[in-house]
Amino acid sequence: MPVSPSYFSRLPHFNDSFVHVQELNRKYARLPTLHPSQVERVAWKTKDQYRLSIGEHVKARDYAACIALVKRLNQIHPDLMPEEVKAGLQPFKRNINIFLNRPKSVPIDQFGRSHGVGKRKSSIARAWLVEGTGEVLINGKPMNEAFGRVHDRESALWGLKSTDRLDKYNVWALVGGGGSTGQAEALAMAIAKALIVHEPPLKTPLRRAGCITRDPRTVERKKPGHVKARKSPAWVKR
Amino acid sequence: MASINCWRCLARPSQRLLLAPVFVAASAPTSAAFSTSTQLSAKTPEGNTRHVRTGKRLILGRKKRTPDKTKPPLSGERKAFRKRIQLSNDNALQVSGLDVLSAENVVNPDSVGKVFGVPSPEVIDQLRTCEAFKSSQNWNLFRSPHMLVRKETVDLAKQMTDAIEKKETLRLVITGNRGSGKSIVGLQALTTGFLNKWVVINIPEGQELTTAATEYSTIPNSEMFSQPVYTVKLMQAIYQTNQSILSQYKVELDHLQLPISVTRNMTLAGLLNATKEPEFSWPVFQAFWKELRLPGRPPILFSLDGLAHIMRVSEYRSPAFELIHSHDLSLVRMFAEALGGKTSFANGAVILGVTSKGNAPIIPSMEKAIAQASAAQKGEQIPPRDPFSRKYDERVFDSLRGVKVLDVQGVSKVEARALMEYWAASGVLRSRVDEKNVSEKWTMAGNGVVAEMERVAFYDLRAAL
Repeated sequence: MPVSPSYFSRLPHFNDSFVHVQELNRKYARLPTLHPSQVERVAWKTKDQYRLSIGEHVKARDYAACIALVKRLNQIHPDLMPEEVKAGLQPFKRNINIFLNRPKSVPIDQFGRSHGVGKRKSSIARAWLVEGTGEVLINGKPMNEAFGRVHDRESALWGLKSTDRLDKYNVWALVGGGGSTGQAEALAMAIAKALIVHEPPLKTPLRRAGCITRDPRTVERKKPGHVKARKSPAWVKR
Repeated sequence: MASINCWRCLARPSQRLLLAPVFVAASAPTSAAFSTSTQLSAKTPEGNTRHVRTGKRLILGRKKRTPDKTKPPLSGERKAFRKRIQLSNDNALQVSGLDVLSAENVVNPDSVGKVFGVPSPEVIDQLRTCEAFKSSQNWNLFRSPHMLVRKETVDLAKQMTDAIEKKETLRLVITGNRGSGKSIVGLQALTTGFLNKWVVINIPEGQELTTAATEYSTIPNSEMFSQPVYTVKLMQAIYQTNQSILSQYKVELDHLQLPISVTRNMTLAGLLNATKEPEFSWPVFQAFWKELRLPGRPPILFSLDGLAHIMRVSEYRSPAFELIHSHDLSLVRMFAEALGGKTSFANGAVILGVTSKGNAPIIPSMEKAIAQASAAQKGEQIPPRDPFSRKYDERVFDSLRGVKVLDVQGVSKVEARALMEYWAASGVLRSRVDEKNVSEKWTMAGNGVVAEMERVAFYDLRAAL
């Protein structure tokens, strides 16, 4: 005789877990709970992840009903959380709780400099920001020698300009690779990242200014049978 | 009446609207009322058939070239237009409340960061005659010439006046990055010279002397070459700009070897103006130069723009068809010896060489000599010459021995603000001039490089247009 009464159903593991969760819910319904906003965030498995982990094709509706109960159980006050419940919730948790990840904080060094790296096309820029009066040196050259176009100069300092910080910081930067447009935009990203170290609340305005997100567009590779990435050779009759 | 959209017609109602509306005319055969072909093929009252579309048509093979009836510009007209100096613009606003530059102002440290007008008309005329204004400078944007007095200006004016008070010779080279205002500082030095009643000699472009653009001839019993036409031009410029000073001094030496007769009661101005013959110009100019350096004569300001051009082998050829070194040209040698300290000046003098970055050949020896002079002036370790380089020219090192160096960099923010306020008051700059705007333009212009500031400040204007 099988151990599980649902051995002959299509979803034995899920049914067992679901029934167990329902029983736990009934049993511990009276334990004090926390407000959902106060509960520590847990990375629950999505339907697809759960299906993959137990190898059963769980219906979306059933999984939604089950996970709602699981979340209700998780609201029980952590001090009073029974071991039984912890074990019962385990199959629904992901192995790694991504909500415990903390971004690595970049420190400002002893000289008051912050460091940021940015990329665009094939250019890489490193920028060091220090509080100052708006002096800029790029590869040891002043702004007008580093970028001939005024447009490039503006886009390089766009992060500082859009947040009104142009006269508050000095920039010392190294840029390499690519052309002048790519270098300018890589520098914009590097400067924005270095600026966030000094003033973290500026992250949102900088994101809106388009300085945080790496632009993923690069040169498309050439394909065999084509003259360039997309161009086909001219058709020749025989 | 039948509807315009006949239901048997295959065209969509929307397309049918584009066709000419077909009215059932009395003459049309009633048996084929649903067909439009008879109407379409029928001639319209104007006589055109319907299938001839109106509007633009592609016409091939009938290209007619109308010959340009305007006259082409005469020879030299285009260059004259390109090189013309326009010093005033009636469309620009008059800026009131600005002082006029004077001999006291220009050495006063308090006038740093202020804009001054150039004394009109006498100094403007003098500067124009000695070609101190250049066509690359945007004087034509403003009502009248004004200049920003910056730290370097006051510094240079102070050095100049101090040297001349002590009857010493100040030999100085103005260097700096491209667009940082070296020529304008040179112009301000010339203005200082005119205001202080010195004898001002200006060679506006070193390039004109060495690119084989003016005539030259050998000097008898000498290895040098004179440039007679240019010398006449220079003598006339000196005569016109310094006439009031030079006419106070009389000729003191006997000039028996000169081709023209020079008497003792002739003034120096008269000596300069005595001949316009190119053949006689160089000996007369030499005599003038000798007279000018006698004790008791006024101080001299001798300036040259585009120093790199006179520090190389010129494009002139000797009778043996060898290239002539620039320092073998007599006028250039006169300047080079004065700058190198070989010429003595009894009454005090300022010898000013202004380098250029826009139009300049790369002269390794000049760069090294200036770097060494600059290091010596700051009391730093003097950078040694590259022991393996063959590009060094000893004559260049000689001509730059012991010169002082004035490095012109970007303007400070205070100066930048004064400049932008002047632009705004002239009506060129339409945006607000506030702390934020000034520092933004200052940063964008590579820490206040003046020419770049102008470019950046008017960039928005150009973009908006």
